[in-house]
Amino acid sequence: MLFLVPSFSSFSMRQVQELAITLSLSTISMVLLVMTLLLGSSSIWRDIERRHTASILTLPISRDSYLLAKFLSIAIFIVLAGVVLAAAAAVMISLAATQYPSDLPLAWGNIVLAIGADVLKYLLLSAVAVFFSAVSTSFYLPFFATLVVYLAGSASQEVFEYVSGQFAQQIDPAQVAVIKGVYYLLPNFSAFDFKVHAVYALQVSSQAFLFPLCYAIVYGGIVLGAAVWVFNRRELP
Amino acid sequence: MLPIDIENLSKTYSVKRGRKVLALDNLTLQVDQGEILGFLGPNGSGKSTTIKTLVGQIRATQGKASIFGQPVRDSNCRQRVGYLPENPAFYDFLTSHQYLDLVGSTFGMDANHLRTESDRVLDLLDLHHADRRPIRSYSKGMVQRLGLAQALLHDPDLYILDEPMSGLDPLGRALVKQIIVDLKHRGKTVFFSTHVTADVEAVCDRVAVIVSGKLQAVNLVSELLEKGIEGYVIQLSGGSEQLCAGFEMNLREDSLREVFVQRRDLNRFMGDVSRDNGEILLMEPRRRDLEQFFLDIVRREKE
Repeated sequence: MLFLVPSFSSFSMRQVQELAITLSLSTISMVLLVMTLLLGSSSIWRDIERRHTASILTLPISRDSYLLAKFLSIAIFIVLAGVVLAAAAAVMISLAATQYPSDLPLAWGNIVLAIGADVLKYLLLSAVAVFFSAVSTSFYLPFFATLVVYLAGSASQEVFEYVSGQFAQQIDPAQVAVIKGVYYLLPNFSAFDFKVHAVYALQVSSQAFLFPLCYAIVYGGIVLGAAVWVFNRRELP
Repeated sequence: MLPIDIENLSKTYSVKRGRKVLALDNLTLQVDQGEILGFLGPNGSGKSTTIKTLVGQIRATQGKASIFGQPVRDSNCRQRVGYLPENPAFYDFLTSHQYLDLVGSTFGMDANHLRTESDRVLDLLDLHHADRRPIRSYSKGMVQRLGLAQALLHDPDLYILDEPMSGLDPLGRALVKQIIVDLKHRGKTVFFSTHVTADVEAVCDRVAVIVSGKLQAVNLVSELLEKGIEGYVIQLSGGSEQLCAGFEMNLREDSLREVFVQRRDLNRFMGDVSRDNGEILLMEPRRRDLEQFFLDIVRREKE
């Protein structure tokens, strides 16, 4: 799909470079989402279902280290995939930008930041997927629950802003409180969105990456901690 | 420190509609250093629940269990354990060598030692010809033998084997029995579950019988076999007809007499044969085998 970016970008007569960046970032995001969903949701559940845990977790390996190693292997795969996709995207964006130069500069730093934040987002999502995989006995729960968390977490910021504004005055306060509660519970994926900064070369502070990084570490740590806690109490076949 | 020490272990499973099933009921059992203990019981008696508790797969509802003094919830207690699960399943995209590398690395074996030991156990289990093939191409018996190979790899002090003979052909069964006996000679401890009494009779020092989650008996196998002798079948040549009066007797085609003598009458009979110039050609004990002992226990529990 990335190879088609220069062609599709040329459909926009005025904003070829901008569209090339948008399409590249969206493609990377979609590929990483599919990888996260498939790898994360099939990780632990599949080992239990195929009874591999009966041979692996009866070795001197603690369940904590097994689960964290599973997460780490998925994380490494996502990071590597992010790096490869970023390299391919850089080539395609350069190609499109050279053919139809834009008035805006190519902000490579912002593009790297956007891809890096996207990778962080999927690392966090993979922690959520591993959590659901650790409690599940089938493929469906981890896959669909992770997808729902992704969709809800991507939209939660806008919903929160809507119910916090004047439009929410007609909504029942109890419902607003529930929505706000869910907002704080769900991961907020909008914190990882730097696409606009990348596309329009907007200025980003040098510490822009710090907040999503800390957020991913803290939230991911809590989710993985919960996954370890649940998995340690789980009875295995 | 005992290789296995189980005290008052109970396990209750929750099933549908809040119902509870008692899988293990106050089980207390010790396995001594250097012995082979057969854990015998019918299907669903609690053998696998006990073993899964020992290797940390499930949690006991009550009681405690330890391996070499370390509680079974601590994964480090398995450093000195070789475990063969029932119907083992391994990462089937790996070859047996790769899988053994994985197992060896979890026990901290260095690369050279690991390579040597992998070759040794694969040779021992007759798997060397297939060591470059992915496990998914193995037959059930080969997977079972690989299971035993990975349990033997780091030369542990304690072996916990869940139905080790399951899925093996007669050659494989004989091989596994021989390996278990060899382990005993090397001072290793073996705890294995089975529902085949002949396996226990062939290799075990002691047998523990579990039925409906309760430990029913723990006995020395030799003692059971000795106690179980009901009498002797004796082939006799010569001597008078009177000699066999009062005994169950068959006259064979080769004119030899085959007499069944009760255990309590043996000395008297032997004296009579000697006085009557008879000749004993063969004498074999007739005994209640372990299967009979096992069936009696199961029947008693059901009643």
